[in-house]
Amino acid sequence: MRWRHKDLLDLDNLSAQEIELVLQSALSMKEVLFRPIKKLPTLRGKSIALMFYENSTRTRTSFETAGKILGADVTNFSVAQSSVNKGESLLDTAKTLQAMNIDLVIIRHACSGASEFLAKQLKAGVINGGDGQHAHPTQALLDFFTMKDRWGEFKGKKVLIVGDILHSRVARSNALGLKKLGAEVVLIGPPTLLPPEMGYLGVRTSFDLDSELPGADAVMALRLQMERQQSGLFPSLREYNRLYGLTRERIARTGKDTIVLHPGPLNRGVEISSDLADSVQSVIEEQVTNGVAVRMALIYLLIGGTSNVMA
Amino acid sequence: MLWLKNVHLVDPGQGISDKASLLIKDGKVAKLCRGEKQLTEEEVLMTLGVSELKDVKQVDGEGKFLFPGLVDAHVHFREPGQEDKEDINSGSRAAVRGGFTSVLAMANTQPVIDTRALVEFVRLQGERAGLARVYPVAAVTKGFQGRELTEMVDLQKGGAVAFSDDGLGIQSAETMRLALEYAKLTGCPLISHCEDTSLAGQGVMRKGEASARLGLKGIPASAESVMVARDALLAGETGGKIHIAHVSTKESVWVIRAAKKLGIDISAEVNPHHLLLTDEDVQLTNSSYKVNPPLPSREDQEVLLEGLLDGTLDMLATDHAPHTWEEKMRPFAEAPFGINGLETALAALWQELVLKDKIKPEKLIELWSLNPAKRFALQGGTLKAGSPADMVLFDPEWQERVTAESLESKAQNTPFLEKELQGFPIMVWVGGKLVMKNRKIVEKQ
Amino acid sequence: MTKRIPKHKIMDADGIRRAITRISHEIVEKNKGTENLVLIGIRTRGVPLAERIQARILDFENVKLPLGLLDITLYRDDLSMIDVQPVIHETKVPFSIEGKTVILVDDVLYTGRTVRAALDALIDLGRPQKIQLAVLIDRGHRELPIRADYVGKNIPTSSREIISVCLSEIDNSEEVLLLE
Repeated sequence: MRWRHKDLLDLDNLSAQEIELVLQSALSMKEVLFRPIKKLPTLRGKSIALMFYENSTRTRTSFETAGKILGADVTNFSVAQSSVNKGESLLDTAKTLQAMNIDLVIIRHACSGASEFLAKQLKAGVINGGDGQHAHPTQALLDFFTMKDRWGEFKGKKVLIVGDILHSRVARSNALGLKKLGAEVVLIGPPTLLPPEMGYLGVRTSFDLDSELPGADAVMALRLQMERQQSGLFPSLREYNRLYGLTRERIARTGKDTIVLHPGPLNRGVEISSDLADSVQSVIEEQVTNGVAVRMALIYLLIGGTSNVMA
Repeated sequence: MLWLKNVHLVDPGQGISDKASLLIKDGKVAKLCRGEKQLTEEEVLMTLGVSELKDVKQVDGEGKFLFPGLVDAHVHFREPGQEDKEDINSGSRAAVRGGFTSVLAMANTQPVIDTRALVEFVRLQGERAGLARVYPVAAVTKGFQGRELTEMVDLQKGGAVAFSDDGLGIQSAETMRLALEYAKLTGCPLISHCEDTSLAGQGVMRKGEASARLGLKGIPASAESVMVARDALLAGETGGKIHIAHVSTKESVWVIRAAKKLGIDISAEVNPHHLLLTDEDVQLTNSSYKVNPPLPSREDQEVLLEGLLDGTLDMLATDHAPHTWEEKMRPFAEAPFGINGLETALAALWQELVLKDKIKPEKLIELWSLNPAKRFALQGGTLKAGSPADMVLFDPEWQERVTAESLESKAQNTPFLEKELQGFPIMVWVGGKLVMKNRKIVEKQ
Repeated sequence: MTKRIPKHKIMDADGIRRAITRISHEIVEKNKGTENLVLIGIRTRGVPLAERIQARILDFENVKLPLGLLDITLYRDDLSMIDVQPVIHETKVPFSIEGKTVILVDDVLYTGRTVRAALDALIDLGRPQKIQLAVLIDRGHRELPIRADYVGKNIPTSSREIISVCLSEIDNSEEVLLLE
């Protein structure tokens, strides 16, 4: 199994084997994270540009750390400082990056498809660090890594993804990938945040968290954007928390040694209770560590060789 | 003086779909001879009032169709204000190249067409271009604000043939009701862009599995259909005259069908792209598929076609909406809505609907020439003797690849770009004047 | 890859066994015992060789030396010259190498670039007191100033030839072949 992609935009066109390759490579990368000297010469002389059009300290720092450990030069195109605010189009930004001979671009953008748009314009590799409501492949891969670390394999495992499914790129990418890996996925949320068209994912959906808890091997809470309440998508945090908030009592009903995931940042007391988030069942901090390892693996796979695409 | 021979004339206004010869004099149809019978030279000379045949231009249309010039009830020519997208001249060139001899130019320019001076400007620019007949549509409300009505009577005197805030839906039902009442002074229909903005929200494509898959915000079908229902009821209550622009949902078709049964004065149009493309075709990195109303579901598409065939829906219209390459070369959500339609619409429908036997050529012409001409009280729409010689000689075998260079429009935002289409106009006359020949505009001498 | 023709067999199973035994003895002898020694095999075939050395030394010294595995992919100096990057495997050194004498084990010593990468990788793991190199075959053609401390067999080769080490843990056979 070899890596044959120029970009990582979505999990749509990755096979289960390719996902496993990423996870396997990430395992080696994780070892590096625990060394006294966390620095590799692997990507010496390669350049990575981070373009975060949406705020995200966590994801950006994770990519930045990953790139630096691998020895690449990482440049932060801070949106505030670059010409983005002056109205430069993504197309012109792409041309600028091309002219700088950047090897890899990592982009997060509020528009679905922005990373694919960039990838079509650039010879450089592109990693999608989250595009609109569309995809967040690196988050999903780090979630898979975290699960695999606990389980060894995905077959026969039941994963609940709970919350604002409609607006969540994390839920989409997770559901797509977990299905490929052979896990059972159930999407759970109120009808306003889990409309029927989400059925396209081909996984089960439910409005009732409590009835789905028994037998769940992992439960993933999604971050709830507070402004959804003003848009009328849910009536109050109180009711949301009662129906969909993860607590220790709820998780105890799975009858299993269930792990609890969250892509962060947490709204403690809303989608997840504080004591659960800090409990032994929570793998939220591991997710952060694993995020760096998985992103190192992806960066290596994309630009480790001269060219990342086979002719 | 023109003698058109051996054409297959499709003229639903006269109930003709037959071999025919036509004589054109002074910009009008002087004589029409149908069937296998040929005009004799003497008849030709006598009718045209000339002594020698060399004074008569002859065109042999063997194997070709002759249509009355197509009338497009919905184009955006962007002038004044956004001439980088299109202007009335380039839009007119695109129109005649696509087989359209009359167009209704929408009022959402900058400034919007809400005064008589602006209406006359549009009309005058159309005359200056000297190609298609450009009929201005004037705004319903001043500045498209959705509140105060425009001076509809004066606007009509300036040349407006209909009123519309197209580009924006009129959100206030009361404004719409009053507009329908007041427009009675003109006898012109109100063209309604049916869109409830609270339902449409920030959506960029039809809400459904395709939008969920692409992670694009969805516009529910109800954003259109609830407004169609509202406007139909208001037209019924006021006795006003309403025309529904760009119908794209099955629910809208059901409402219009019911309204017509109730005797409400309602008409409606369908855009070719809504008949040919669905939300499943939308590509994240090709904003040529971004259009408002958005591309419908497959099911909607079937009901739309059915509505056209059974007379619920009255006409086809392109909603020609040119945008610059730079504007469209953006991420899907940031690109403007609109499809460039005039030069590809007829060919695309011919290839996908006529050649696949889903619609007859006679019906196609009824929908795209006769019915719009009637609804908006325009000349044309038929080629009976005495009518203006707005004509399209159409070659059903002509194949052409749609390229950016080939388009007369300033814009290239069409999903048919780089695609091969079959069935194109090869000669177009407006008022007897040849304006397009062999796919090229006949330039002014 | 074109199929190579075996030219001749350099070592058979017995030959390999004897070489490993000799190297094991030399390691203990040269270091005057087993104190402070750790073994690190370079993936892929250095790993079973290191395991065998570990077993030999356990046999005659009754000491089980700590054993680590090293994947040097991330340290290769030719990454930017190969088209598709090699798959990386886990490095597993579950003990500190600080102040230790590390016996680095590989199958074939050729240009010396693999060993160079392994030295870089090792130093990133800590600061050993000494690093020694044990190889089954030294075939010459060094491109870097690197030499082995323990050699199973020296084989003069031409650069067109290939040395193929087959070990039963990984391959279907137990032999060393010279291919052309």
